[in-house]
Amino acid sequence: MQLTYVFSELGNGLKRNVSMSIAVIVTIFVSLTLVGMGLLLNAQAQKAEEYWGSKLQITVFLCNQNSTTANCLNGEVTGPQKDEIEKVLETHPEVASWRLQSKQEAYQKWKSAYVSNDETEQRVYESIKASDMQESYWVQLKNPEKFMGIKSQVSGLEGVNTVRDLREVLKPIYFWMNVMKWGAIGIAGFLVVAAVLQVGNTIRLAAFARRREIGIMRLVGASSLYIQLPFLMESLVAAFIGVALAGGALVAFMYFVIYERLRPTSNIVAWIDWADGVWALGWIALIGLLLTLVPTLVMTRKYLKV
Amino acid sequence: MIRFENVTKTYAGQSRAALDDVSLEVEKGEFVFLVGASGSGKSTFLRLVLREARPTHGKVYVAGKEINRLAGWKVPGLRRQIGTVFQDFRLLPNKTVTENVAFALQVIGKPRSHINKVVPETLELVGLEGKGNRMPDELSGGEQQRVAIARAFVNRPMILIADEPTGNLDPNTSVGIMKLLDRINRTGTTVIMATHDAGIVDQMRKRVIELSGGHIVRDQSRGVYGYQH
Repeated sequence: MQLTYVFSELGNGLKRNVSMSIAVIVTIFVSLTLVGMGLLLNAQAQKAEEYWGSKLQITVFLCNQNSTTANCLNGEVTGPQKDEIEKVLETHPEVASWRLQSKQEAYQKWKSAYVSNDETEQRVYESIKASDMQESYWVQLKNPEKFMGIKSQVSGLEGVNTVRDLREVLKPIYFWMNVMKWGAIGIAGFLVVAAVLQVGNTIRLAAFARRREIGIMRLVGASSLYIQLPFLMESLVAAFIGVALAGGALVAFMYFVIYERLRPTSNIVAWIDWADGVWALGWIALIGLLLTLVPTLVMTRKYLKV
Repeated sequence: MIRFENVTKTYAGQSRAALDDVSLEVEKGEFVFLVGASGSGKSTFLRLVLREARPTHGKVYVAGKEINRLAGWKVPGLRRQIGTVFQDFRLLPNKTVTENVAFALQVIGKPRSHINKVVPETLELVGLEGKGNRMPDELSGGEQQRVAIARAFVNRPMILIADEPTGNLDPNTSVGIMKLLDRINRTGTTVIMATHDAGIVDQMRKRVIELSGGHIVRDQSRGVYGYQH
């Protein structure tokens, strides 16, 4: 097959419709970037879930002399009270393991977390002593989903100040991650529709602009593929550029935001890595291809039928 | 070469058939005039031969094949055996004469060496030697129609279909175009020409098929435009 015509038509087509081509490319670019962001957020949410899930434990804070809750009316937790609590932890079926964190340990942790450059603040921090800390039991669960039973049983015991489970602490983080993820995917969905319609429109306009050539090609017996090829190539070029731009945006996001900013400064969760980035890139390349090829094939079939 | 067997064509949404139970045969190498008023079914006849349309009933054979049963991907192959010329020439205005004729070969994938050889030959055949580099708008109507004929004939089709080829031309120029079509016919190409031009039909004395309301009302081997009593 002689492809001179196909390539010259490809060039002509892109030139003839620069503004349309740019509109298509920009729409594809933005929608795919959002799709990619949604995928990365999803991956991040899963990573966080796994990370916290494996560490998920409930913490049973015991009363100290300053505690004011109902179970702490008798002040500092006593030895027999602790025995009673430990007996429950030992026998409860939801508990995998537990350990006691002493006041001194809690104090060390606290000291390393609370450091300030501000002198006044620092002085306030330093006024707090190990005796102000609470003893606590760190309880590892067999199944992170099942914590209600042990939680309710322990929180009723004398000498227990509060029971905290990490899931509740993380709930708002998960919530906002989900909002962002679905927000990105939702907006991307609208843009994908816009991109499909735009590709379709572009094909229709291009077919109209070339109707003379197409009419002659049909009459002299050019094959469907030969007639459709310039249109397909035009769409593929747009898809390629759109995917490349979106891919670039995702790579930039991974590098500048995840690797340069978040990873070095915050270790509280496991962050997504390049493998997740590549996975998202693969998806947007596939979606970008489908996004342009499907409407192109449908439209060329409709308008360029031999 | 072309055979219609009880062909009826009714377009969607129309109650009256554009062609109604038409049967005829055109032999290889024949020159046939298709005459009749507007709406008599001439264009439908030509569209059926090109498989631009499919019959509602009946069978259309071209070169021994029943073309309404032809797979879609084989239609281009059929059309490569049929050259088509229109009243309005349908040249590409941004291409030269040579490029217009070469276009027909390029888009069916003919090698460049072949194109470089046959395009000048064909231009010479239609009397346009030396005008290959002109643009269509630099040519007279008759010359433009010659370019269109060159484009239709450059792939040496078995059948040449001409739909009112002289409709936009003055009588003198029309005579030249008819001579050209006659010459092409003498190379063995079957020519089917739809026309309103009584003078030409009377002069050429070829087979005349007259359509009226979708029926063949006359089929004369050496006919004239109007009825002879």
